[in-house]
Amino acid sequence: MAELKLNIELHTKYWKRCLKSVLPTGYSSNDSSRMTLGFFILSALDVLDQHKKLLSEKERADIRDWILRCQHPSGGFCGSTNHRFPDEYYVDVGQGKELMDPANLAATYFAILALTYVGDLSQVRRRDCLKWLQTLQRDDGSFGELVTTNGTIEGGRDMRYCYIATAIRWMLVGDQISKEELKDDIDVDKLVEHLRSGQTYDGGISESSQHESHAGYTYCAIASLQFLGRLPDPSKISYSDSLTSPNLINVPDIVHWLVSRQVGYHAEDHDGETVSQKRPGPSEQLSLDQLSLQDSECVGINGRCNKPVDTCYVFWVGASLDIVGRSNLIDRNPIRRFLLEETQHQIGGFGQFPGKPPDIYHSYLALAILAIWKEPGLKSFDPALCVSAEQREKINAQRSIALVPTRTYWKHGYSFSIKEDDPNFEKAMAESEDAPDLAGDTSTFSQAVKT
Amino acid sequence: MGRYEGNPVWDDVVPIPQEEGEGALAQIAYTDEYVEAMGYLRAVMAAKEHSPRVLDLTEHVISLNAAHYTVWLYRASTILALDIPIDKELEWMNEVALENQKNYQIWTHRQTLIDHIFPTLSSDPAAAQAFADAESAFMAEMFEEDAKNYHVWGHRQYIVRKFNLFDSDAELKSIEALLHEDVRNNSAWSHRFFLVFSNPAYTTAGSRATEHDPKIPDAMIDRELAFAQAAAHEAPQNQSAWEYIRGVLRKGGRELATLEGFAGEFVRIPEGGEEDIRSSHALDFLADAWSEKGELDKADMALRLLGEKYDRIRKNYWDWKRGLLRGAKV
Ligand SMILES: [Zn+2]
Repeated sequence: MAELKLNIELHTKYWKRCLKSVLPTGYSSNDSSRMTLGFFILSALDVLDQHKKLLSEKERADIRDWILRCQHPSGGFCGSTNHRFPDEYYVDVGQGKELMDPANLAATYFAILALTYVGDLSQVRRRDCLKWLQTLQRDDGSFGELVTTNGTIEGGRDMRYCYIATAIRWMLVGDQISKEELKDDIDVDKLVEHLRSGQTYDGGISESSQHESHAGYTYCAIASLQFLGRLPDPSKISYSDSLTSPNLINVPDIVHWLVSRQVGYHAEDHDGETVSQKRPGPSEQLSLDQLSLQDSECVGINGRCNKPVDTCYVFWVGASLDIVGRSNLIDRNPIRRFLLEETQHQIGGFGQFPGKPPDIYHSYLALAILAIWKEPGLKSFDPALCVSAEQREKINAQRSIALVPTRTYWKHGYSFSIKEDDPNFEKAMAESEDAPDLAGDTSTFSQAVKT
Repeated sequence: MGRYEGNPVWDDVVPIPQEEGEGALAQIAYTDEYVEAMGYLRAVMAAKEHSPRVLDLTEHVISLNAAHYTVWLYRASTILALDIPIDKELEWMNEVALENQKNYQIWTHRQTLIDHIFPTLSSDPAAAQAFADAESAFMAEMFEEDAKNYHVWGHRQYIVRKFNLFDSDAELKSIEALLHEDVRNNSAWSHRFFLVFSNPAYTTAGSRATEHDPKIPDAMIDRELAFAQAAAHEAPQNQSAWEYIRGVLRKGGRELATLEGFAGEFVRIPEGGEEDIRSSHALDFLADAWSEKGELDKADMALRLLGEKYDRIRKNYWDWKRGLLRGAKV
């Protein structure tokens, strides 16, 4: 059998097309999540180590401007320019700030990530964004996707929002800035309680408590716990945990559920029908057909029990196992074969399942899991933030920049803030005037410059 | 001339164009129809106009992009502002939902409107019952397309909670009917678990799906076990039924070993002879039951059989469990 290889050149071509040409009209139903698609495109080219070669400085600046154009005046980002009104519409005419089309949680996450490929986080309105993030949390700890002018939190109860909220908070160093400067943070304990209550009787995690367990939501809950530093220590798992511990997120049960998502795949019995839509014949009782008695050349992954396999679930399941430190519990070769032989497309990219044309979402997640599994030609990958490890490092460095202490100096009766690592810091502090008497006239201070 | 431009009904509205600028990511080949409708939507939203023509416009926009997250909110506020009868909107939504199986905004929209009429509905038990029945009928129609549609099952939970259908015979029967159709429908199993173990009449409020709830009557645990055991007999290799059994045992605070005999019906391991295994899940179940009883050698043998012969696809996992078991032996 020929050796399987990821065709880097072909995938680069696919992603270059996504970057440089206009997407077909069929993508119109994704118009509200163009920021998500934009992130996938930039990040895929990064994982393929191509994006620096493909974008000129001018193009990077233009993309940066486009992303920032989607920043909402009240904090957060919009899903695309479709949702962003011209500036004059947001002006406060005496009834409070006008929200128009409110910022969207998913868009905000992907916009912040996308910015880090073409610039940095200095133009994200960090404090507005973190304050806005707090308004999205419900009393039960969960998050909505947007909040309307009258304060209603909209969007279903959905683990994805919890994941995104914790990732944004991590990137913007919300845990520290919120406490020190905003005097308020999201309610982490309630959120953790909500994440834990999502674990269902079969060990997987569902959209929220009591629904059916689902690989996407399982990933979201595990990754959120990692961002919050609340994942149980993987080295302390014992056999009896799975039989006795109901109070923490039960890792052995999650692992059992995750590895159960592997399904032997045989090209001939995939006719687009779900496995379970075929009624079991009377002989099924006695037959051992459904047992995995032989090694499968190809193994696919489903997202729920008894559902058909799908490319994206290779990521949701594989990345979850990686985060809990158990990547070695699945046999990666037949799964890799499934991706490379069955869902990789001849024009580049990956389809949802064999025979489907490639789409941006499945193409990205297939690359992502192959990168997690150290596919030659791809950068190593961070499973929780869903970007290359190098990019996570870059973002991490930008986080600490935000943490450099800011000091205040005075000039001509105004206050200015300056970071301690600013090259002008020493000079500015040395030349600073004494702070004016705060008990006196305060009108000067209301004009104080704040950066 | 478009659908709106030059149309006397829309004469007074100046559309707000999309400011795309340079460097747009994921640019889409919008149709002229789409661009025009969005421009008018932005204009009516800016003017905060809630009128019958806005209903037409939002319907049009939804037909072009059902995942537009704010058009749904704007439509809901328009319906409430105009006091439009909700049943008309539900009828329309039914069609849209059938055409957009993957869309989730429509379900939030539906629930916003149901929340709005609920206070009136609940004062008239017969009307409330009729409403819940109509919702069930619609969901049955959705299930004909896809009996595992996650959003529809989420809505079903919402309806059960809202109209307190936990004790409804019809609700339990309809789940049984779906499982009769397809005993592997894990969504239906999951809903059954919710129905039985979140029933406020006899469960502890806030009890997690993974923990023992002492308030649940023994008879209920017995009934659920019998149901799932029968299903496991029907299709021994159906993981849904086995997971359900484990879940029920945990809810009831019972040990796995209480069903050792039942699981043993699928697993015969005669001394020295050839074993006869009809379900890998039964073997997995027995491994845990034996480990629970401290019969670690037997548990280890079951895990070995799984990895080497009966569930080879998960060999690494079964080996890992054997390692954990050895940890327990020390
Ligand atoms: Zn998928």
